[in-house]
Amino acid sequence: MNEILSIQNLSKNYGRIKAVDDLSFTVERGTVYGILGPNGSGKTTTLSVITGVLHPAKGSYRWFGNKPGKRERKRIGSLVETPNFYPYLTLFQNLQIAARIKNVQEEDINRVLGVTDLLRRKHSKYDTLSLGMKQRLSFASVLLGDPEVLVLDEPANGLDPEGIAEVRRVIMSERDKGKTIIIASHILDEVEKVCTHVGILKMGKLITSGLVDKLLVMDRVLTLSAPDNTKLKEILEKSGLVKNIKEDVDCITATILSETEPGEINKYVIEKGITLTRLEVNKPTLESQFLELVREQN
Amino acid sequence: MMKKLLKNELTKTLNYASFKVIMTLHFILFLMVIIVASKIDIAVPGFSMRNLFRFPDVWATFAWIASWFNILLAIMVIVLVGNEFSFRTFRQQVINGLSINDLVIGKGIIIFFIALYSLLLVFVLGSVFGIIFSHNFELADLFSKSYLLAVYFIQAAGYMIIGMLFAIIFRNNSLSIIMFLLYFIFIEPIIRRFFSPEVRQFFPVKIISHLTPPPEVLAIASEKTMENSVGTTNFDFESIGLIPHQLPLSVTLLLAIGFIALFVFLIFQIMRKRDL
Repeated sequence: MNEILSIQNLSKNYGRIKAVDDLSFTVERGTVYGILGPNGSGKTTTLSVITGVLHPAKGSYRWFGNKPGKRERKRIGSLVETPNFYPYLTLFQNLQIAARIKNVQEEDINRVLGVTDLLRRKHSKYDTLSLGMKQRLSFASVLLGDPEVLVLDEPANGLDPEGIAEVRRVIMSERDKGKTIIIASHILDEVEKVCTHVGILKMGKLITSGLVDKLLVMDRVLTLSAPDNTKLKEILEKSGLVKNIKEDVDCITATILSETEPGEINKYVIEKGITLTRLEVNKPTLESQFLELVREQN
Repeated sequence: MMKKLLKNELTKTLNYASFKVIMTLHFILFLMVIIVASKIDIAVPGFSMRNLFRFPDVWATFAWIASWFNILLAIMVIVLVGNEFSFRTFRQQVINGLSINDLVIGKGIIIFFIALYSLLLVFVLGSVFGIIFSHNFELADLFSKSYLLAVYFIQAAGYMIIGMLFAIIFRNNSLSIIMFLLYFIFIEPIIRRFFSPEVRQFFPVKIISHLTPPPEVLAIASEKTMENSVGTTNFDFESIGLIPHQLPLSVTLLLAIGFIALFVFLIFQIMRKRDL
């Protein structure tokens, strides 16, 4: 049984707005599945349905090949939307409540608070935490009982760069333990770095899905200049190492083919007698890449 | 599973400051009212208000006084249930692995314990006052009307279940409390006015609040006692037309249980049908 989650023709609407529209996909064991989409594309709604909070209007889903129920949900660590805790209880008491529901030993609470660097605040009241700490506590709750499947909705939300790196590190270590992880995100970079598979949602529809390596190939853009830019451009055009060569005011931009290393270009032009005064590798902005992808599919 | 639900509800409820405040208030108000009431006496020979505090009438008196504070208990339950919606913790508990039924049962457990607590409160204070005010009594006297305690328990649970129903319909503390109070004080009484007196008495608030009717003060106060062995004929409110005809307690009780069952059914239905 390698199928962890399968969704068939799922639809959910809020009044006349179709939040999720005839969605179907499958998540295999051991994969990290990214659900990528702009705000309002139906990511959270999809996760709310599969975590039992919302009733689907149409369609169905299965966890571990079974009809979903509370037994299945106990095997899944989920963080959906915002952190939901009792503000007047301490972190420990809040996790105690979750641990009892999931049949997890109380000893595990210290472990997950340690992983998320909250052990020091164990007996603080939840409402004294900063936003980032609240998000980390949600993450701690997800890890309770070392579940085989993680469902994460925008796990980096509200975190500072250090926190984002930390959460990413934890996700990767969970992935390396062979966990199945489902992540919803609008941040392409996040998905690209941690996911093996990706499904792209737009207005509740799955517009494309597949392996991250195939779907999200990134073209890197080079910025080069030399004493004689016109000559440089000619040489680059003949090199076959780059495409989309454009001459700017004082530099040349070109898209580097994915298998080429920037160093090869430097070596090539030196052989042709040109010394570069500038060589920069820029990733296209992720948003623009994503928007292009969404546009292509329309 | 039940044990874990209970532990979780206790963690949530007992650590909640408003709960402690409201329950303390409930205790103090109840104690103050019975102390003040026990000091009232009317200087008419043949009457003694103290009879209201003697076994077995003390149970009727205390159940009635305790019922004034049922609204407070119901509001407490509205807040406890409403919080689960506003903190989105009902959602989170389902995500973590509870079923919708578990959510309702968890709150049912808390209602049971609050009702049990106020039953014990009435029992303990009733026993204390009964012992102080009754000069000599027999155990049979003590227990002859003690079934009123069970009736009070059902009534308190009924108020809280209605509170929970409001909290589940409106999902917002202030709106639920306002609607609950309006329903009790205005809406149902006004609707009742459109019906004949026979039909009026079958409305839920009417039925549930009549589980603990005010004690028949004149009749009890004029009962023969050690002090006023002269005695007078017992007054009967109904026969002199002071209060309207009422259904017998057994019928009221059955109807109340029926209404409570209906509300519990509605709570389950609404919770199952609506998204969290």
